[in-house]
Amino acid sequence: MSAIVAAPLLVALGGAIGCLLMRSRPRLLRGVSLLGGVGYLLATVALARAVFADSDAILVYYLSGWQAPYGITLVADRLSVIFIGLTAIVSLAALWVSVRTIDASGQRISYHALYQFMVVGITGSFLTADIFNLFVWFEVMLMASYVLVVFHSGPEQTRAGMQYVVLNLLGSAVMLLAIGGLYATTGTLNMADLARRLAEPAAYGIAPGPVLGLTGLLLCVFALKAGLVPFQFWVPGAYQAAPPPVTAMLAGVVKKVGVYAIIRLYFSVFAVATIPDSGGLSVVAGEPFLVVFGGVILVMALLSILLGGIGATGRNNLDELLAYSSISQVGFIVLPLAVAATTLPGDSLFRAGVLATIVYAIIHGFAKGVLFLVSGAIEDHVGTLEFSQLGGISEQAPVLSGAFFVGGLTLIGIPPLFGFFGKLLVFKVGVEAQNTIGWIAVGATLIGAILTITYVTRAWERAFWGPPNEFVEELTVSPSVVAVIAGLAIIIIALGIGFQPVYELANGATSAVIDTDAYVRAVLGPESAHAIGGGLR
Amino acid sequence: MSSNNQTTVIVRTVVRSVVPIIVLVAIGLLLQGHNFPGGGFIGGVLTVTAFALVYITYGAEYLSQNLLGISDGSVARRETQDVLDPDEAFFSGTVGRYSAVFGLGLALAAGGGLGAIAFGEPFLSQAVLYFDHIPVFGVIELASALIFDLGVYFVVVGSLLTILAVVGNE
Amino acid sequence: MTEVVLAIVLGALYALGTFLVLRRDVVRVVWGVTIISQATNVYLVTMGGIHGSIPIVSHGGGGHHAVTDPLVQALVLTAIVIGFGTTALALVLTYRLYQEHGTLDLQELATTEESQ
Repeated sequence: MSAIVAAPLLVALGGAIGCLLMRSRPRLLRGVSLLGGVGYLLATVALARAVFADSDAILVYYLSGWQAPYGITLVADRLSVIFIGLTAIVSLAALWVSVRTIDASGQRISYHALYQFMVVGITGSFLTADIFNLFVWFEVMLMASYVLVVFHSGPEQTRAGMQYVVLNLLGSAVMLLAIGGLYATTGTLNMADLARRLAEPAAYGIAPGPVLGLTGLLLCVFALKAGLVPFQFWVPGAYQAAPPPVTAMLAGVVKKVGVYAIIRLYFSVFAVATIPDSGGLSVVAGEPFLVVFGGVILVMALLSILLGGIGATGRNNLDELLAYSSISQVGFIVLPLAVAATTLPGDSLFRAGVLATIVYAIIHGFAKGVLFLVSGAIEDHVGTLEFSQLGGISEQAPVLSGAFFVGGLTLIGIPPLFGFFGKLLVFKVGVEAQNTIGWIAVGATLIGAILTITYVTRAWERAFWGPPNEFVEELTVSPSVVAVIAGLAIIIIALGIGFQPVYELANGATSAVIDTDAYVRAVLGPESAHAIGGGLR
Repeated sequence: MSSNNQTTVIVRTVVRSVVPIIVLVAIGLLLQGHNFPGGGFIGGVLTVTAFALVYITYGAEYLSQNLLGISDGSVARRETQDVLDPDEAFFSGTVGRYSAVFGLGLALAAGGGLGAIAFGEPFLSQAVLYFDHIPVFGVIELASALIFDLGVYFVVVGSLLTILAVVGNE
Repeated sequence: MTEVVLAIVLGALYALGTFLVLRRDVVRVVWGVTIISQATNVYLVTMGGIHGSIPIVSHGGGGHHAVTDPLVQALVLTAIVIGFGTTALALVLTYRLYQEHGTLDLQELATTEESQ
C-alpha cells in the first residue's frame, strides 16, 4: 500500500480548495490554479513511475486503512495511469488557455475552483475500485461541469445547460438504481469483490440474470457520459455552450471517463460472468455477459459513427462540426470493444480490441483537445464560428492553423501522425476477427473514415483557406495560447513518430484489463486468488 | 428587502425563542456525530434552518448585518460604490463571506484527512482520545473525526447560506 | 408486507416522476427529475433490506439479519446530499432560463432557437 496512489487526487483537491480560499487575490488565485495543474502533472509522473517500475504492479490504497471490500479503495494500475496521464496533459494546457481567455471576473468568482473540482472528479473516477464511489466521483465531475457549461449564462448556454443537466441527472438516478440493485443481488460494491463473486455466482448465492439486466442499465449510463448514440443529445449543445477550454476538457477527457468505465467494468470485472440457463435467456445461455454487451456496444458504435459523421458533414459552424465529429469518434473508440466481445478474455483478438480502444481513446483526447482549443481561440477573437464569416485563417494565424491541421489529420488518420495507428489498430481488429461482426466493423470504419475526411476537409477549406475576410483580419491570438496549443499538437506528432513506447504502455494497460485475477488478488489480498482462478476461462 | 410588516408578532416571538434551541440541538448533533446519529451535515442543515427562520421573519439584512455582523459591500459602502471594483464588492459582501465559509470548511475537512498522512496513516484515518475523570461528564472522548465533521458543518452552512442569499436577492 | 407497500410506493413515484419529466414545462421536468432521484433513494434503502434492529446504536450479535444493513443508509445519505446540490442547481438554472428566454415552455424554447 502506498500513498502515491492518492497523490494526483489529493493534489487536485488541494488545488481546488486553494482556489476557493485565494479568491480575494486574483493573481495568487491564478498562480495557485496553475500550480495545481503542474503539481497534478508531477504527481501523475510520480504515480506512473511507481506503477510502471514493476512489470505488473497494481498499487492499492485503502482510505483510512479499511481493508477492501469494506472500505473505500483506490487502485492505480496501468489502465488508470494512462488515462490520468491524458487528463494531466490536456487539463494543464486547457488551464493555461483558460487563464488567458476567460474574463478576469469570472475566473475570480468560480472558474478555477470548478475546473479543479472537475479534475478531482475525473481523477477519482479513474482511481476508484468501488462502483458506488465511481458514482460519487462522477457526480463531483458532473456538478462542476454543469456550472462550467452554463458559465457564460446567456440564452444559448442556459438552454443547452438545462438539457445537459436534466439528461445527466436522469443518468445519475439510473446509475444509482443499477448500483443499488447490484448491491442487493451480489452483496458487494467493490469491483474486485464483484469480479470474484460473479466468477462463481453459485458459491455466493447470486442470480446472474438480474445482474445482467442491472449491468445493462449501467452500460446506458456510461454510454450517456461517453455521448454514444442514442444518448448523444446533450453533446452538440453543451459543447457549443461551454467556454472553449472546458469544451476541450469535456470532449478530450470527460468523455473518456465513460469509455474507461466501460473498459474497466465490462471488459474486466463483469467479463468473468456467464449468462444463466434460466429466465428466458436460453438463446445465449452459458455464454459470457460480453456477448450481450458486445452486441449493444456494436449497435451504439455503428450508429454513433454514422450519425455523428453525417451530422458533422452538414454543419455550418466549426464548433458544431467538431461536436458531431466527437460523437462519431467515440463510436470509433468503442467499436473495437464490440469486436473484442465476440471472444474470451484469453484470446488474442480480445487483447487487440481492448488495445485499439485504449490507443484510440488517448489519440482522440489529444486531438479533440487541440481542435476545440483552436476553435475557441478563433471564436474569442472573431466572435463567431459560422463558416460564412470565416475564411483564410491559415494566412492570418499560421501556427494556430497548423495545430488545427495536425489535429484534423490525426482524426483522419494520416501516417505518421498518432491517429494513423489508432485507425490502423481498429482496422486490424476488424480484419483479424474473421467473422461477420469484424467485417461490419471494417465497413463502418471505412464509411466513418470517408465521412471524417469529408468534414475535416470541409472545415479546413471553409475556415482556413482562401483570402482572409474582414472578420478574420483582426485575428491576433495571444502568443502563449498559441504556444500551448502548438505544444499539444507537437505532442501528437511526437507520439505518432515515437509510437512504440505508447504501444507498449497501452499494451501494458490491456494486460491489466485482461488479468482480472491479478486485480482481485491485489485488492483483496493473495488468499482470494484461488476463488477466481477456477472461474476464469 | 428590509424587514417588512408581513410577519406577525406571534411569529417573531416564536422565532426568538426557537432559534437558540435549534442552534443548540444542531451543535449537539455535530458533537456526537462521530459515533451517534448526527454529524456535520445534519448539524449544518439544522443551523441553516435557524438562520432561514431569522431570514424569513426579520429579512436578509437583519440576518447578515445585525446577526452575523457582515457589512454588506453593496449597502453599507454605497457611497464608495463607483470606486469599488464590483468583484471587491462581491467578496466583501454577504455572498462572498458566506462562500468563504464554504472554502474554509472544505479546507478543514481535507486538512483533517491529510493530518492522518502526517502520522503515517492512510488518508482520512481517524483516532479517538479519551479523557477520564472529568468532573460532571465523567469520560470525554475527543475524536479526530470531529475535525472532519466540523469541516463538513462549515461547508454545509456556507453553501446553504450562499444559496439562500443569492436566490433571496433575486 | 412493508416490502410490498414500498414496492407499490416506488412504482407510483417512478410513474409520477416519468410523467412529469415528459411535460413541456421546465419546472415540472425538474420536479420529475427530483422525484425520480428521491425514489431511487427509497429504492436503495429497500434494497438493503428493512428487517432487523437499528444499526450502529444496538450493535448486532446474534444472527445474520439481526441488524439492518447500515451500508445502504450511508450510501443513501451520500446520494441525498448529492441530490440536494443538483436539485438546487437545477432550480436556479430554471430561473436563469426564465430570465433569459421569458418562457419555461419547452416548445417555445425550441422555437426561439430556430428563429435565431
